[in-house]
Amino acid sequence: MTIENKTLARFRLPFWQRLTDWAPTGIGIIFGYSVLFILYFPIVMLMLLSFSGDPLTGIPGDWTITWYEDVIFADIAQRDGEAYGSNFRVGDPLLLSIMLAFITSILCVIAVLIVGPVLPRIKWRGPFLVGFLMPLMIPGIVGGVGLFMWYRLVIHVKMGIWSLVVAHFVWAFPFALLAMLVVASRFDTRLMEAAEDLGAKPWQRFWQIEMPILKPGIYAAGFFGFLLSFNELPFSIFMRAGQDTLPLYLWIQSGAHNTTVPLIYAMSTIITVGSIGLTFLAIKLAFGGGQNDVRQ
Amino acid sequence: MTTNVYTYRKPAGLRDYLPRLPAGVWSLSGFSLLWFGGIVLPLLAIIVVSFLQGRGLNINFDPTFLQYERFFSYGGGEMLARSVRIAGTVTIVELLLAFPFALWLAKGCKNNTVKLLTFTALTVPFFLSPAARVIVWRSVFGINGAVNQVLLGTGIVDEPVLWLIFSEFAVHFGFIGAFFPTMVWPIFLSVSLIDNDFLEASGDLGASRLRTLLHIILPLALPGIVAGFVFTFIPMLGDAVVASHMGGNNVLMLAAQVQSLIGVSNFLVAAALAAVVLAIMLAFQVLLWFALKPVGGLAGVFASLRR
Repeated sequence: MTIENKTLARFRLPFWQRLTDWAPTGIGIIFGYSVLFILYFPIVMLMLLSFSGDPLTGIPGDWTITWYEDVIFADIAQRDGEAYGSNFRVGDPLLLSIMLAFITSILCVIAVLIVGPVLPRIKWRGPFLVGFLMPLMIPGIVGGVGLFMWYRLVIHVKMGIWSLVVAHFVWAFPFALLAMLVVASRFDTRLMEAAEDLGAKPWQRFWQIEMPILKPGIYAAGFFGFLLSFNELPFSIFMRAGQDTLPLYLWIQSGAHNTTVPLIYAMSTIITVGSIGLTFLAIKLAFGGGQNDVRQ
Repeated sequence: MTTNVYTYRKPAGLRDYLPRLPAGVWSLSGFSLLWFGGIVLPLLAIIVVSFLQGRGLNINFDPTFLQYERFFSYGGGEMLARSVRIAGTVTIVELLLAFPFALWLAKGCKNNTVKLLTFTALTVPFFLSPAARVIVWRSVFGINGAVNQVLLGTGIVDEPVLWLIFSEFAVHFGFIGAFFPTMVWPIFLSVSLIDNDFLEASGDLGASRLRTLLHIILPLALPGIVAGFVFTFIPMLGDAVVASHMGGNNVLMLAAQVQSLIGVSNFLVAAALAAVVLAIMLAFQVLLWFALKPVGGLAGVFASLRR
């Protein structure tokens, strides 16, 4: 029976029998988009409520930007030593988080350039992969406690900025590596051999052959490092010393007082919009440049 | 006597004594040494630490089961069982919700714009602050929240519904949205790698859709299903945000317990708890390893991406 006959035969069926054909599709669509709705509803609500007069009721309306002003002025006022309505200070955690995100991003790019191109080519890559991707399979909180125990209890090192950098790197590196491996496993090593035969020096081979081809993976690693570090929470809980990162600060504040909740909404909205913007940029840079790729 | 340029030899450096390997292998070894020595080993060492005893920051190296006894006598077993039960239930619900969706996305959806938008929608949540995603539910589900106001206003209930927040229902609900993408992605990848010819051949040979699903798609998508299970269940088990925001003090899960133990400097009991979780995680890793074996292990998954 040819396909045309089959299609024709199907159209001759009464519609309640044809129903079974698209029912599974319908279930898939309904399930998927319902959960995506549940996933995005609070994010949209967060943005609406951050501009609302009385966010705690959960009903948007009575539009205002007073919470955003408070976020900024509360920090400035306290920096100048003046009293202000709330003791919500977001400046230092924000600076720390941005700094950490930059460092993690750079470390991720370096590490991924070391590991990514070589891993697909060596024979015993299985154990390496399992080791590198291990943080993905450990709950963040257990990973944080584990590293804390080792460094603080067993070898008695004080926590500090360095430990936050380590924690964020441990969290972001597996994701960055996965992104790089997708690109690097398609890399044709004969290109490098050809370049060598044609007399290219090692740094030339790196800059002119390897870098341009691996560029999407490098971008992805950089952005993954930045965004994952910026929003990281479970590892930071244990690997900090004194200073809070921004997610940590917001999380502690949200558990503490109801008066700061509107400010948390405003701050979270700023972060969310920023993160979504960066994600779009990352997707565009990492996977949008398909036309310029060197074809194998 | 003149120097003959043709017989000139560079003085022997470190490089000449090392076996001739591509430069990349050396830097990979260096990085691996740091990673395995600084990260993987310490994480596994927690199992050893959990068998030690001591007080505060001082520990003695003599093995004991004391920490485990204390952990279970503090009601740790109950808490652990609750965490595993909630995370397990939600993971199974996620699987039932995500599988038809991933199947449709991989094989059914023909519209590229819809596909791209859906992919983006499934990617963005990975990069959002975990607290920002759930914090609003408190205002929506709270005693004076939107849902209760609507219910009271329309006269469906006479007094505020309390079980909407700080309850097991709330925790389950909060998890379902937050952990959907980690279940969809692996299943989507494994289903989209199934050759369309298999599905057509199965149909041409007279198999019903159900039969094709059970005998062709399910076995071939199994690695993705197991990967999705692991990537959803494991982070959910250790989630610090949803449980504390949605469950409050009524639904204490793993993260809260670990934090309160660390908070009172009860490090070794926390180590025992972490070791139990690590053991669960290792069991899952073995499960994942067996599930990926038919496709050539984790490395095989990447090899198949090369096509």
